[in-house]
Amino acid sequence: MIEDRADAGGLEPEVVEAVAAPKGPGRSRWGVVAVLLVGLLLLPLSRPFIDSYNYTVLLATNGLMWIALASSWNILGGYSGYISLGHAVFLGVGGYVAAVPLFYYGVSPFLTALAGGLAAVALGLVAGLITLRTRGPAFIISTIALLFMFLLIFENIDYLGGTAGLPLPVVPISRDWLKAPFFYAMLIAAVGSIVLSYQVAHSKFGLGLRAIAEDETKAEVAGVPTRFYKIIAFALSAFWVGVAGAMWGYSLAFVRPTLFFTVAISAQMVLMAIIGGRGTVAGPVIGAVLIVAVNEFSLTQFGSSEINILISGVLLVTVLLFFPLGIVGTLREKRLLPAFLDWD
Amino acid sequence: MAVTLEVSDLNKSFGGIHAVKDCSFGVEDGSITSLIGPNGAGKTTVFNLINHVIRPDSGTVRFEGRDVTGKMPHRLTRLGIGRTFQVTRTLGDMTVLENMVVGSSGTGVRSMFGSRMLDHEVERAMELLEFVGIAEYAYTNAEALSYGQRKLLEFSAVLMSGPQIVLLDEPAGGVNPSLLTRMVARIRELNANGLTFFIVEHNMDLVMDISDSVIVMAHGEVLLHGSPDDVQSDRRVLDAYLGKV
Repeated sequence: MIEDRADAGGLEPEVVEAVAAPKGPGRSRWGVVAVLLVGLLLLPLSRPFIDSYNYTVLLATNGLMWIALASSWNILGGYSGYISLGHAVFLGVGGYVAAVPLFYYGVSPFLTALAGGLAAVALGLVAGLITLRTRGPAFIISTIALLFMFLLIFENIDYLGGTAGLPLPVVPISRDWLKAPFFYAMLIAAVGSIVLSYQVAHSKFGLGLRAIAEDETKAEVAGVPTRFYKIIAFALSAFWVGVAGAMWGYSLAFVRPTLFFTVAISAQMVLMAIIGGRGTVAGPVIGAVLIVAVNEFSLTQFGSSEINILISGVLLVTVLLFFPLGIVGTLREKRLLPAFLDWD
Repeated sequence: MAVTLEVSDLNKSFGGIHAVKDCSFGVEDGSITSLIGPNGAGKTTVFNLINHVIRPDSGTVRFEGRDVTGKMPHRLTRLGIGRTFQVTRTLGDMTVLENMVVGSSGTGVRSMFGSRMLDHEVERAMELLEFVGIAEYAYTNAEALSYGQRKLLEFSAVLMSGPQIVLLDEPAGGVNPSLLTRMVARIRELNANGLTFFIVEHNMDLVMDISDSVIVMAHGEVLLHGSPDDVQSDRRVLDAYLGKV
């Protein structure tokens, strides 16, 4: 360890890097990203060409939703290090904010999804003000408490359908193209959350959050307004989760408290972010794709059992054994990360 | 000279231990004032109370005439009270340069979501890193620095916010003689330009050499406040360190 070394005061050859700023981002990565994006944009139009069209688009929609959720969670849990197990609350709030106008007044969730996101942000601000007075395990537990509180509240409001929830009409378009609008909506949510995550990572705000994750007292004394930053991070990390919730409920044609307000959904976001690489921009994306793929594989192989949970567990242990910082985090540390995944 | 930092009747207890008892003193503008005392005297606690890392049970802290008791540490930093830690708290996973600029994070949309490093900040940071002699490490992760170099990093980072007074908690602790000489020269240079220093230090040669005025604490109380000569010739100081004979 370097601490043990007698202090030389001067240059340590193995430590020194060039004083010039490190190389800028390569151009190639944006090429790969652009190709991926164009491919995704065209996917819903592939109906005449693939047999399993509905299945493919549904699976991709699901993957995009989880990318949005995991990337959003990462803004708080990855950058600032505050592990929230309550993020499913924002999914539910978004879901209901869109479901109620649809059920009672026939207003399309495609118009209210944004309101769902903003409601989630508002809740994030309030919940952040309260829960962020704690840290560590106490914070985690307070976010779980938030989740159960909302489950209880929503189950007991008749206007919202109580425990049975609200049935929703399907989108009034041709059955053939039913999946496409949801696919595009989730694509917007996924890209939006990645862009937000990227913006945060490359801003002073993100630098402050990383300082909070490392040493909160030091960050505060250095001049970072830590409490304000944490609350803003909580609120920002709620936005796209709320939007995704609005779309998700509509796509399932119902909302119900136990659909949204579960620790399992929150835990899934955490799992994806950790496997992919907490605190990196690309990590949660990789984690989400991997977990969705593994879940799907186990569902098709072993049927609707709970073997996918077992497999997720094994995957987590294996990945963390070989990639302690998550896939993206560890690859980057070893300088093995492909340029198109290095978004930090 | 005018008093820039004034502490009155500061008290703090941890459980049954009265760590700081009715502490009152002032630090004169433009001075180098040292705070000494045996281990457990409450020196670091006084620092923590001044910049509100911990909350005082009672008492007030005044800075340039205004009551700043209870202000959040980042507000105090903005107001001009800089502070380093006894055990260096550099952010190891961030580069040296990032350690320098992290403190300038504001609360406005522009300052939050603008670039994480602005040109003028990098320029100022590089100047300061050169000033303490660790500029070649600017893009190295801070965890790769030696202990002494981290002390220099903390020292230069605290200057980024352009403080009026700098609280240094054991700047010499664990630093080798050549780095120490460099640090002391920098302290003197900055002091000559008007920066006030308030230093907790165990290295008595350094304290007596560098200080304009020395405050001695024992058992949470201020024992004496005087010139280095006064302190060295005072019987009570010896008693505090060695116990009454």
